[in-house]
Parts: sequence; C-alpha cells; structure tokens
Amino acid sequence: MRPAAPLWVLLPALIVLPLLALLPGISHGGGWELVGQFAAAALRPSLDPIVLGSVLGGLAVTAGMALLGWAGSLVLGLVLGIASSRVVWRTCYGSAAPASWIRRLLALPRSIHELLWGLLLLQVVGLQPVVAVVAIAIPFGALVARVVSDLLDALPTASLEALRCGGSPAPTALLTALGPPLLPQVISYSGYRLECALRSATLLGVFGLGGLGTELRLTLQSLAFNELWSGLWLLLAVMLLLEALMGWLRRRWAMPARLGLSQRGVGSQGQEMVAVAMAMLPVLVLVAWRLEVQPATLLQWQGLPPLGAADWGAVAALPWPRLIGNTLVLTLVAAALAVGLAPLLLLLATPWPAAGALVRGLWALGRLWPPPLTALLLLFVLQPGVLTGALALGFHNLGILGRLLLEAAETSGGNQEQALLAAGVGPRLALLYGRFSGLARPYLAYGAYRADVILRESVVVGLVGATGLGSQLLEALSSFAGDQLLALVLAYALLTLLGEDLSDRARQWLLETPHGDGHPQEAGGTWR
Amino acid sequence: MSALLKLQDITVKGRSQPRLDRVSLQVDAGERIALLGPSGAGKSTLLAVANGLLTPQQGRVFWQGEARARSGRARRRQQARIGTLWQDLRLIEELTVQQNLNAARLAVWGWPRALLNLLMPLETKACTTMLQRLDLDPALLNQPVSALSGGQRQRVALARLLRQEPELLLADEPVASLDPRLAGELLTLLLELANPPRALLLSLHRPDLLAGFDRVLGLRAGRLVFDQPMASLEPGQLEELYAGTPGA
Repeated sequence: MRPAAPLWVLLPALIVLPLLALLPGISHGGGWELVGQFAAAALRPSLDPIVLGSVLGGLAVTAGMALLGWAGSLVLGLVLGIASSRVVWRTCYGSAAPASWIRRLLALPRSIHELLWGLLLLQVVGLQPVVAVVAIAIPFGALVARVVSDLLDALPTASLEALRCGGSPAPTALLTALGPPLLPQVISYSGYRLECALRSATLLGVFGLGGLGTELRLTLQSLAFNELWSGLWLLLAVMLLLEALMGWLRRRWAMPARLGLSQRGVGSQGQEMVAVAMAMLPVLVLVAWRLEVQPATLLQWQGLPPLGAADWGAVAALPWPRLIGNTLVLTLVAAALAVGLAPLLLLLATPWPAAGALVRGLWALGRLWPPPLTALLLLFVLQPGVLTGALALGFHNLGILGRLLLEAAETSGGNQEQALLAAGVGPRLALLYGRFSGLARPYLAYGAYRADVILRESVVVGLVGATGLGSQLLEALSSFAGDQLLALVLAYALLTLLGEDLSDRARQWLLETPHGDGHPQEAGGTWR
Repeated sequence: MSALLKLQDITVKGRSQPRLDRVSLQVDAGERIALLGPSGAGKSTLLAVANGLLTPQQGRVFWQGEARARSGRARRRQQARIGTLWQDLRLIEELTVQQNLNAARLAVWGWPRALLNLLMPLETKACTTMLQRLDLDPALLNQPVSALSGGQRQRVALARLLRQEPELLLADEPVASLDPRLAGELLTLLLELANPPRALLLSLHRPDLLAGFDRVLGLRAGRLVFDQPMASLEPGQLEELYAGTPGA
C-alpha cells in the first residue's frame, strides 16, 4: 500500500489527531472568557483618535524599519552574493575556491534568526532605531547573498566567455554579460523579501524594538483587545495591500509564479524595474531621517554588566538532549500542522465561497500575527510548553503556506480538475485528484524548506517557555550569561545548518528539477 | 429515438460578440454527430455547455427530458452520464493508469473509495477489461501515466472515457494534433466505441474526416448555420462555412 501523490499533501495533517488527544492535558480552561472577549473585539476595534494615532505612528515606524532593513539587506546581499559567486571568482581570479569559503562563512549569519540579532544588538548598543534595521539586514542580507550567488552561477556564460576572448577586462565583461540578466531577477526576488521584512519588523517590535509590534504586545498584555484590533486590522490592510502590489508587479513584470509552477520569462520590462528601484532611494533617505536612524550609534557600545569568568562546566551541564529534542519536536509539529492543514482547509472550504473567504482571512491573520503574540494568546487557555509554542508557530506558517498553496492552485491551469468536474465529480474530489496530484511534489518541497525556516524561527516562541533552545537562549540573554549564550547560539546555528542540509536533500528527493519555494531561489530552485 | 441532450436557444456572451448565439439542437441516443466550424466558431463553448462546465446566460439545457439542475448533486448526476474526450487528454500524470481509469468513477463513488483508490489498486478486473478492449497490455495498470507513450496515453484516455459509462460521448477536436494515420485510427475507434444507444458529438476542424458520421452540424461565429444528415451535405456548404478563414 503506497499512498499516491494527492494523499501526500494531506498526510502531515494526521498530526492533528495526537494533538487533539494531548490538548486537554495542557489546557487550564481559565481564560476562555478572555479568548471570547478577544474574538468579539475583532468586530469592535477602538476608533479613539488617540489610539488610532498611536497605532498609525507605530505602523509607520514598523514599515520604516522594514523598508530600511530590507534595503540594507539588498545592498549587503548583492555585494556578498557577488563576492561568493563561483563565476565571478573564476573570471577574476582563475579559481572558484574562495567563493566556497565565503559561502560557508555566510551560512552562520543566515542561520541566526533576526530576533537573536536584534536582542544581541539591543544589549550591546541599547535601544536605538538602527538596531531593528541592522537585525533585519544581517540575516536577510546573507540569504539574499546566497540567492544572488546561486542566480549568478546559474546564468549562461557563453556571452561572458565571448567578451573575455575579445579581450575585455574581467569586471567589465562580468557586468556586461551577467548584469542585465541578473538585475531583473534580483529585483523580482527583492519584492518577496519586502513582505518578509514587514513581518520581521512587526515581530521585532513585539520584543521591544519599537513600532507596531510593541503596541500590539502592550495592548494584549493589558487586555485592551479593542485597541489591539485597531492595530491588527490596520496591519492586515497594509500587509494585504503590499501582497497585492507585489502580485501585480510580478504579473506586470512577467515574473515567475511562486512555487514555480507557471514560470515565464523574466524581466520583460527591465527599464521600468530599474526606474522604480531608483525612485526608492529618496524614499529610503527620507524614512531614515524621519526614524532618526544613525548607523554611527552602532559603534557606541553601552557599558555591559561584567560577564564574569566563563563556566564551561555549567554550560556542559545544560540539559542539551532535552533542549535539542524539544526544539526538534516543536519544529516538526509546527511544520506538520502548517503543511498538512493548508491543503485540508482548502479542501474543506472548496464548495462554499464564504468558507473559502473565511479560510483566506484566517491565513492572512496567521501570516501577519507574530507567533509570540499567538503564543501569549494561547496562554490564556493552555499551559506554556512545546505544544503551545508549536501551535503558535504552526498557525503563522499555515498562513504563509496556505497563501502559497492557493496561489499555486490558482495558477496551475487546472485542466485535470476541470475534466473531473465536467464528468460530474464533486468539487472536493476534483480538487484532490485534479490539482493536488500535480501540486504535491512542489508543495511538499516548499514544506521541507519551510520546516527549515520554522527551526530557525523556533526561538521566537521561546518566551512562552517552549523549553527548547529558544527559551534557554532568551534566558541566557536576560541573565547576561555570555558563555551559555555563545554555546546556545552555536548549537542553534549548527542545528539550523543541519536542518538546511536535510531540507535540501528532501527537496532534491521530491523534485527532479527543484522549483518549490516561497520564492524559487531560496529553495535552491531555478528560474528556467 | 429518445432525446439525450437538448439545447434550446443557448446564448453565451463573449467580449465583443456572443460565443454562442441562440443555438438550438438535440442529440438523440445512438447518433454520431460531427460538429464543424472554423477556429473561434464556438465549438468548444458548445461542448462546454453540453458537459455542464459552462452555464449559458440564456437558453435551457435538458438532459433526458429533465432541465439541467443549476448546481449540486442533481447536476453532477447528469454530468456523470456525459463523457468528454479532451484534446489534451487531461490524464493525471502523477497517478497510475488504474487510478486514472478509476477516477472516471469518482462521480458515483463516495469518499472512502476515492481515498482507497489512492492507496491500493481497486476494481482491477473492470480496469483490465477496459485496457484489453482498447488493445492495451493490462500490465500497464500499475504504470504512472507519465511513463506512457503518446499512443498509449490516447488509448488510456479512451479507456477512462468508457470506464465512466457515459451515454453521450463528447470529443473536443480529438484529432487536431495527430498525423493523418493516427487521426483516422482514433476516429474509427471513437465511432466504434460510440455504439448505440450511446451517442457521439465530436468537434472537428477537418471536413475530410467525416466518414462514419450520421449527422453534421456547422457552426460559424457562434451561430448554427446548418444541422442536417451527413448524406445531404453539399461541398458548397463546407466552403461557405470556412470562407474567409485562414487555410480555407
């Protein structure tokens, strides 16, 4: 008995069964009334001008931090991407070996979540607007670098070789031969990163780095649900607008659909893309001026409490197997929930347009709602622990995967589904057989990539005592235990690098020609 | 003969002009009807109205004397009696031949069997019979469709059509992308399979392949310009039907 492709996408949803069995054991039932109040407040957001002013101000800060962090990551990513490209080194230096070393080095900043960067910088330079910007720019920049170098190395080199044979110097030949095909692809990818940056900036705010995230956390903790929903609705509107804008630009500029199912030629309107990119520059300067972002403050370190001598014995005595085991369980449960529930919900909602709209709304909320806030909300009714953290992370990633699945389902043609519908098959079975068959492999390949991201993200639910590496890390940070911090960050980095390798293998196994991802490049896909 | 499908004053609107303009026709049991017309005449739209994928803005559709239900189970029950052979076959590449054949029964199966079909071979005997009827090796049952040759895929699509047990076969330009020999073979096969009381309504781009049909319909710019027995078709009518179109 071997399950066929359409069932693969549903199998991870089986995680719901043991979860349902375990949930009564961790629920304390005290806060259902509060959850009810929270839900009811969705329909009655506060319209008080003071609240709205504060929320709008917070949103402006968050959007500004996201925009600057995103721009910084692009600059960093482009420079480091070129520096870690094999073709660049081979052309300029004759050997690609340095590229491999730089790539390996870049894996470290990439493996550390932006929240960790933010909290580390917060301790070193204090609460400065520049902290969130740099916290986003470093890991995002390392990720963009990997994508840029992969893109560069995948470009056809015939024209480069022709120019070199004609005597062009290496830099000029590279710029002329590889610049034009690379630029539109990088711009396309960067649009996707902007959405991620907005989510990250909100998350950093939750941990006190300013902006709307801080407002959301404060209103949640003070149970001011009506005020909380004012911010949430506004954030939802901005996020959906941004997603719609990016979708429109992707279509306008003929960029590949996410999940890579209907890829087309890229960069049919290169000049327009460059013009838009140039127009961003004054906007960035203005935002930096308004937010008072001063990079020089990064050099003014504040006095840290004495770190004391390293106690490596105490570090070794940490319950490592439990910490790592819990982190892995948290990751796997959250990934299975997100990967399995998205197709299941889509399937259940299919016949009814109203249910479909509800599911889409739920996913949008999941995407924008920072996981630590979901975790705090869950604490009203559940005890802190791995499952609570996994539910919070699962909900967030369900939003991301659900949107991606929907996008892929809508752009994958659907001829088989149509044929089944014409033969009188019900809408759910037609979706299962007709669409999920083709989507299964790329979707699960993306799921593997997402599991890798979830492992990195597991630190963000550390604050609800998810008892994994994340909780321990936050504890080490707040108690200035430098030795523990170093060991835990390294352990985290090692684990995420291993996870990255595993998910790469899973994707290769799932896809003969890999192309499944939130963005094709990140998962090692190709544009062609 | 009894009427299987009846279209009454069907209009489907298009951007600039109607895709179908007040088309009426009736398909009786056992009839083999060729639907002719130049590209863009509305042949595919007519077939989509016939198999229920498209609901016309005006006009009524009757299946065996009953008005077509707007949606829901009743409509699907009617659709299950109409099988369509698509030009691009629309087989599910990732599934095995057997799972594809059984997919034709999904309209009458419940969820448990539909899910079991994705886990284990079901109704092997019935599927084997279908393959043998189309001169295919039953050993193909376990093969994924993506591993089949072009000719095998064509026959598997026909086997799936039969497995649906339809009373009316629709085919949308099934020979458009085939060379003359394969096109002739496929048409012969289709005409054989459409044995009475089963009926066949097949859209064609090539008037040279009309042998074996009892009746011929001519569609141009969404309008039915002729509907008559095959024997009475005049060459001039075909010339008029295709006049002014590329390749005419």
